[in-house]
Amino acid sequence: MSEPTSLALAILALPLAAAVLAWLSAALPATKKLAHIPLILACAAAAVLAFLLLEKMLDGHEAHYISTPLTWFAAGHLQVHFTITVDALATIMLGMITFIATFIALFSSGYMHGDRGYARFFAVMSFFVFSMCGLVLANNFLLLVAFWEGVGLCSYLLIGYYFAKPSAAAAARKAFLVTRLGDTGFLLGIFLLWKMGGWHTDLDSLFSHIRDNPPESGLLTTACLLLFCGAVGKSAQFPLYVWLPDAMEGPTPVSALIHAATMVTAGVYLLARCAPLFVLSPEAQVIVAWIGGTTALLAAFLALGQTDLKRILAYSTVSQLGYMFMALGTGGAISPAFAVSAAMFHLFTHAFFKALLFLSAGSVMHAMGNVIDITRFSGLRKVMPITHITFLCGAAALAGVPLLSGFWSKDLILESLTEASESASPYSASYFVLLLVACLTAWLTAFYTFRAYFLTFWGPEKLPEEAGDHAHESPRSMTLPLMVLAVGAVVVGGVLQPFTHWFSDFLGTSPSLTEAQAPAARLVEHHLNGVLLAISTVLALTGIALAFVLYRHGEEKPLGGIDTLFALSRNQLYIDELYSALVVKPAEGLAFLLRVFDGFLDGLTRLIAAIPRFLASLIRPLQNGLVQFYALAMALGLAVFVAFVIFRVAR
Amino acid sequence: MTDPLYQQTLTGIFRHVIPEITLIATACVVLLVGSVVNRRWLWFVVSLLAVTAAMIVTGTIRPKPPELIAASPLIADAAAAFIRWVALITLAVMIFVAWGETDRTNAAEYYGCLLITGAGVSLVGRANDLVTLFLALELLSIPTYILLYLPVREKRNQEAATKYFLLSVMSAAVLLFGFSYLYGLTGSLNLAIIAEAIAQAHANADGPHPMAMLAAVMVLGGIGFRITAVPFHFYAPDVYEGGPPGVIAQLAFLPKVAGFVALARILGLLGPDPKNIPFPPDTQLPLLLWAMAILTMSVGNVLALLQDNLRRMLAYSSVAHGGYMLMGVVVASSLPDATTTPDVGGLDALLVYLVAYGLMTLGVFALIVFLSTAERPVQAIDDLAGLSQTHPISAAMMAIFFFSLIGLPLTAGFAGKLYLFLGALNAPPQTAAMGNLYRVMAIIAAINAAVGAYYYLRVVGVMYLRTALHPLKRSWMVPTFLAALALAGGTLVFGIYPEPLAKAARTAALIPTSVGKSVSGSR
Repeated sequence: MSEPTSLALAILALPLAAAVLAWLSAALPATKKLAHIPLILACAAAAVLAFLLLEKMLDGHEAHYISTPLTWFAAGHLQVHFTITVDALATIMLGMITFIATFIALFSSGYMHGDRGYARFFAVMSFFVFSMCGLVLANNFLLLVAFWEGVGLCSYLLIGYYFAKPSAAAAARKAFLVTRLGDTGFLLGIFLLWKMGGWHTDLDSLFSHIRDNPPESGLLTTACLLLFCGAVGKSAQFPLYVWLPDAMEGPTPVSALIHAATMVTAGVYLLARCAPLFVLSPEAQVIVAWIGGTTALLAAFLALGQTDLKRILAYSTVSQLGYMFMALGTGGAISPAFAVSAAMFHLFTHAFFKALLFLSAGSVMHAMGNVIDITRFSGLRKVMPITHITFLCGAAALAGVPLLSGFWSKDLILESLTEASESASPYSASYFVLLLVACLTAWLTAFYTFRAYFLTFWGPEKLPEEAGDHAHESPRSMTLPLMVLAVGAVVVGGVLQPFTHWFSDFLGTSPSLTEAQAPAARLVEHHLNGVLLAISTVLALTGIALAFVLYRHGEEKPLGGIDTLFALSRNQLYIDELYSALVVKPAEGLAFLLRVFDGFLDGLTRLIAAIPRFLASLIRPLQNGLVQFYALAMALGLAVFVAFVIFRVAR
Repeated sequence: MTDPLYQQTLTGIFRHVIPEITLIATACVVLLVGSVVNRRWLWFVVSLLAVTAAMIVTGTIRPKPPELIAASPLIADAAAAFIRWVALITLAVMIFVAWGETDRTNAAEYYGCLLITGAGVSLVGRANDLVTLFLALELLSIPTYILLYLPVREKRNQEAATKYFLLSVMSAAVLLFGFSYLYGLTGSLNLAIIAEAIAQAHANADGPHPMAMLAAVMVLGGIGFRITAVPFHFYAPDVYEGGPPGVIAQLAFLPKVAGFVALARILGLLGPDPKNIPFPPDTQLPLLLWAMAILTMSVGNVLALLQDNLRRMLAYSSVAHGGYMLMGVVVASSLPDATTTPDVGGLDALLVYLVAYGLMTLGVFALIVFLSTAERPVQAIDDLAGLSQTHPISAAMMAIFFFSLIGLPLTAGFAGKLYLFLGALNAPPQTAAMGNLYRVMAIIAAINAAVGAYYYLRVVGVMYLRTALHPLKRSWMVPTFLAALALAGGTLVFGIYPEPLAKAARTAALIPTSVGKSVSGSR
């Protein structure tokens, strides 16, 4: 086994060990208070290892390392291996996950302090980091599914962390069931690929088999779309995005780590990993782009009217994920390496500033006695100076203020859409429409982000009574991660990409991207497009300016004509109600019918179940406890056997 | 007879049984000295040392296989090695389990007899002639009679021991009777020569040779007792109910290992060429085995439904599992009809299942030993009521074992059932002699597995959903508890990652790749 894979396995093992330790620590009240230590240490160590790994990969000796396959189980054609792959794509994800997880773990140790389920929280968080790293590394589809479900399970457990609260329990169930819908498609897609791809389940051999024996394009499109179903569920895309806003019932660090920075991006990662497949199917690509565009705009609109700070951020996450899918969807029209690096770069910067925004919101929530409704407090600038600055950094990055991380990554996506609209692809008109959608979304994003910012931090100081007398800045263990992430949110984008192309060059060495060659793709050079930069600057600044004009006094004022629009947004376009009427209610009716039918079946089953017992009571008397009878029965049995053989043979 | 190779073969064979000799020699010392010094911990340690020594010898000394298989009383193939490891590991576990059952009056005899049974099972795996095979089987049986009598406290124990003794002797007689026919027909005791001679006899008689068939039925009858096949299973419930649970653990597992291996060896299924077998499907013997498998699993499961006594229920459950395992034998005898190389050959599935069965059955009985006290033996299922509150770890382990017995995923029992079922589904779907009976067998086995879930789950329900009227006392039999812990761990490990076990079983029970007559493995 080559050294990079051993490093990767060590990264995988650390959080698993932390999970076990945290779980064991629950046994004693004394150790229970220390449950955060394994997670913080494991993540920090894993982050260090991830950077070592990054350094090794940058040497560029080999584009990827694959561990020796270890058979997990095998049955007939189905061979499932435990095997991991280390390439640029996986390395970047690993570094990001472990780095951000370290600071979120540190933040959580302050945020969750004194909670009853302290050890449980950290055990599940550690297990989540393990599953997420495994998901990124897996080189086998079924192994990937195992980790995919692992992160889903952790998400379920953490959304429902306050399980005594009915809304939290319901949100956890909703998240699990809705993502399950997508996962069904995902599994179907995997087995379709398994069938088309020469019975391979290892990603590398599957892709190379499909490249060498291109299957029928309709079938391949179906398989890609089925895989995309999984991504739609996990990454909360339209129409399955409804679970993510509700998932904010979980503790805020969970929202930051799982529902902003890492797990929800698994869908984007999956599509990036499967780029060699998607590139062969332009139809699937354009559908991905449209779903992404629809989600981006819809979620941005829904974020406008919300008054729950975490919900605003949740919708913004959904919207930004839609952005990433738009970029991924251009992969057929322009070179896939460009499209994927645009999406991955946005994923990377988004992880920083969105985790930062969530943690800042958590800090606010901590100080306000768990109140998160932005209409109930304002003017927190003085009360929480550090949180104010860090939130501002995150908000500015998200809004796309020039020179900050979000600006550069968003610009890359806009550029990929522009190039796609100018390409020779048959869907170039679609990409042009999507470019306009992306611009509108960018403007809305700037507006709603700063609406939240002004309503929270500007205007006269107003505190809810729940805050009591502890409305003050959060402890050091919480502010330190905020400051680190704030620096990341501001500089990480500018340093890595726009002038050096370091990020895209490194990512481009991933075999899945070098192999993914679209026949009709337009080759795109990385360059700075002045017109686009100007447009996105104008969009961001006008959005922010409008928010400043409307909300600088820290309170919401009636807006006359467009109030209905806001009301629609606040009520989430009644989409939950629509789903309820269209899906849940008919399902309930069906369930009632089925229950009646079930009652009938139940009776039938009981009847069938009675048969073995009846038979048993018939032969039971044979077991009479007399040894003579037993001997006789054996002899008779033998005689019957002999008779059987004689008659069959003599026949 | 003056062939130097022949001499060499005979003088060289002792090197193949050094572990067994170690065990039996230690047993002799233990039994002799034990009449003077009877200390439980001493003999516990000595027996463990003997098993460890046998394991070290197995791991380090690898003698050359006998030159002339046709002249050697022993065979040293991968299957023999597999069975030896199963026997040695079982022995080590049983020594820990037995801690809870021995005292200073009987420890020497108990451990001495235990060592001999282990040697017997291991020897069955390498027997290559009828005399060695019979000797090995009796090495297993005779100490078991003593073990059943050892902790005799009440009439019920005596009754159980007597019943087992009488019926076992009778089955041994039937087996010997069958062996005498085999010898009379072929003029040889060597299994390899017998297999060839019987095939020749079938060819000469232009159809199944009647004497050979009679011999096969007698052998089946004799071995049927050991694998608790219907109708030779009657002793099981009475003996399981009355006997000491630690001995029953051994009785439920080791005779099954020995019986199935002996059957496979005599029927030529576990040898160098499992395709040329003396009783292929057109001799109707596989059909008889098929009927026996169906009958055994169905009777076992159906009767287990009605039991309120935990041990009687486990007896019927062991009958049912014997039926599942017979499926492996049936599938293995389908190989001559196969036109492609099947993924699962039947006997490899049987070996996987044997290990899984050993883990879960020994585990359940180890826990029964652990939880029983002289005043409060665990007998009825209701004795376990509320176990989850009084003994949470034991209850969790018991639940794991029962889930494994049901065959739920992530337990070894699931892996075992999966391979057995895959074997039945991989067998030729339609053949001249057997029709589609392999498929039918898989379906019936699936129905049986569903029936089985009911009575196993009932125990889990009693443990977790009811509260105890008279809670069981806290137990301090640490070695027994450790054994149960190891078995539960094994059940989970082989359930989650069965591949190493399956691979070992595949090496032990080779599926010939040259099976294809018409189609050569192209899919």
